[in-house]
Amino acid sequence: MKILIIEDEITLNQSMVEFLTAAGYLCESVFSYKAALEKIDYHSYDCIVLDIMLPGGSGLDLLNYLKLDKKTEGVIIVSARGALEDKIEGLQLGADDYLIKPFHLAELSVRIAAIIRRKSFNGQSIVSAGDIQIDTASKAVTINGKTVELTQKEFQLLLFLVINKNRVLSKNTIAQHLWGDDMDFPDNYDFIYSHIKNLRKKMIAAGGEDCIKSMYGEGYKMQLP
Amino acid sequence: MKLFTKYNRVNITTTIITFLVGSIAFYFVLDYVLTSQLDRGLQVEQTEITDFVKEHNRPPDALTTKHQWTEISPAAEPIAHPKPHTTEAFNQLEKEVEPVRQLAFTIQAGGKLFKAVVNQSKTETEDLLQMIIFVIILMIALILLSNYLINRKLVTALWKPFYTTIATIKDYKLSEKRALQLPHEKLDELDLLNTSLNTMTERIHQDYLALKTFTENASHEMQTPLAVIRSKVESLLQYAEGKEMVVQQLMTIEDATLKLSRLHQSLLLLTKLENRQFELSESVDLTYILKTKLDERESLINARELIVDTTADQVTLSFHQHLAEIMINNLLNNVIRYTPLRGTVYIKLHSDALSIKNYASDGPLNTERLFQRFYKEEQSAESTGLGLAIVKEICLLAGFGIQYRYANHEHEFIIHFKPEQK
Repeated sequence: MKILIIEDEITLNQSMVEFLTAAGYLCESVFSYKAALEKIDYHSYDCIVLDIMLPGGSGLDLLNYLKLDKKTEGVIIVSARGALEDKIEGLQLGADDYLIKPFHLAELSVRIAAIIRRKSFNGQSIVSAGDIQIDTASKAVTINGKTVELTQKEFQLLLFLVINKNRVLSKNTIAQHLWGDDMDFPDNYDFIYSHIKNLRKKMIAAGGEDCIKSMYGEGYKMQLP
Repeated sequence: MKLFTKYNRVNITTTIITFLVGSIAFYFVLDYVLTSQLDRGLQVEQTEITDFVKEHNRPPDALTTKHQWTEISPAAEPIAHPKPHTTEAFNQLEKEVEPVRQLAFTIQAGGKLFKAVVNQSKTETEDLLQMIIFVIILMIALILLSNYLINRKLVTALWKPFYTTIATIKDYKLSEKRALQLPHEKLDELDLLNTSLNTMTERIHQDYLALKTFTENASHEMQTPLAVIRSKVESLLQYAEGKEMVVQQLMTIEDATLKLSRLHQSLLLLTKLENRQFELSESVDLTYILKTKLDERESLINARELIVDTTADQVTLSFHQHLAEIMINNLLNNVIRYTPLRGTVYIKLHSDALSIKNYASDGPLNTERLFQRFYKEEQSAESTGLGLAIVKEICLLAGFGIQYRYANHEHEFIIHFKPEQK
């Protein structure tokens, strides 16, 4: 899976490259409009991570260019411009998703995975890790071939953990993935704990391994081979 | 009061006063002129009688016409300084007492002293005066009428471009893509008004655009470093497994970044609200938003064991989808944060108002400072202190009324959708 990261802030670009490489993607990064244009012209990618404000041009123009060139790359915009119009404009120009800075890398990773699943021609809607199989199209989860009934939030949580497997996910990251940005979470994250607890129970009951590790003070981690 | 009415009022009053003063002055002048004419007639008659007496040494026969008659009678003593004066006398031909101008003088004839009284009837003079006054009154009436008609037709027509301009300004929104473009007018004053308004809005528009770009750039410049910090913290977290001290510090950094990012977004939103960068013309289903936002918080509500008692009518407003979501979001965030464990929250939504009520463990909130920025009842790490300030700004923009009430140990926030009808 090849990903092109177009972001002019070098440190942020590097962080994304590190994270996504660890997640198993092949990453290339460019820092300017012109370099991005060259890459797009000569190579093809599974997904493009695109910043809007670039030296030498606008990310929205790149989107237009991709559209005119009938490229099929999935595009996720990462922008600091949270204005609703920018978001709508980006999506209208053919972007698949829009992430507002600052974002969690884990969140970016799930979104990219979702885009690649949607774009893949052979209907790759199955995400599997260890003995867990998740069908993202029908929202069905099986462990060792046994169906597990999950609530919507538990399903989202499991998918998030599986895609970011072997990584520590802070409670902030999980909460924001499940409930969005504009909700605030007072004093404690007990309710995340209760979701995790339920999910673990169901997975163990289905004969799965207890692979969700609670990291004291940090968050959670899905430990998978 | 309309300018036209005010102008008309002043105009009519001065016209009437001018005409009244003028008429009175005119009356006296005319009276003076006519009287002196009569007096000259009397003097001519006096000369004639004196001449006749000199020639014939006897008084002439009394000559009587409708307008002038003379009475001659013997007199005891001479009149020193004969002077014409106004009085009343009997007109034998008309058989009535009439106002007259009279000159009495004495003449010496045939060794006897005679007194001659010459009368000039003033009736005609008065008739003339009456006619003149009548004509003047008629003129006043005519002038007032024509003034009124001219003002009504002409002034309304003259002011029409002015009202067009006003209507255009009223409908003008800064978030429109361009400055005002009012047409050129033939009248200098209106043209001046239009040109000035055009230049003014042009300038305001430039400032507005500059500010808008600034907020967008500020957003970019701030959020990108925050994104860097956050991503680095996330990476570090992977290496810090098991090292409790490091993890704690990293979590603190992450919380602070989150808060900073929220704070910054809230301030940006406030700026945009103040700039009126939103069009409030979408049809917004408030009931649906309320329901969705409550569903999103289900886990949170369950975790705090809150009882949420909701009665919601179907309410659709002409508003802004995103702003409506933010408004309800902030109110719900607050009520969930500040309701004690196992407390009850009452939410009522009907076509006039949204009311959110919860049990208060302590007394009423500080009503004056409640909606101020960065005001917090208690120092809490999660709260930005901007939530209610944003709600208030949104209400201000949408023309809603916002009210806080405290009664029976309960806080209540009410948003009136149609405050002017109250």
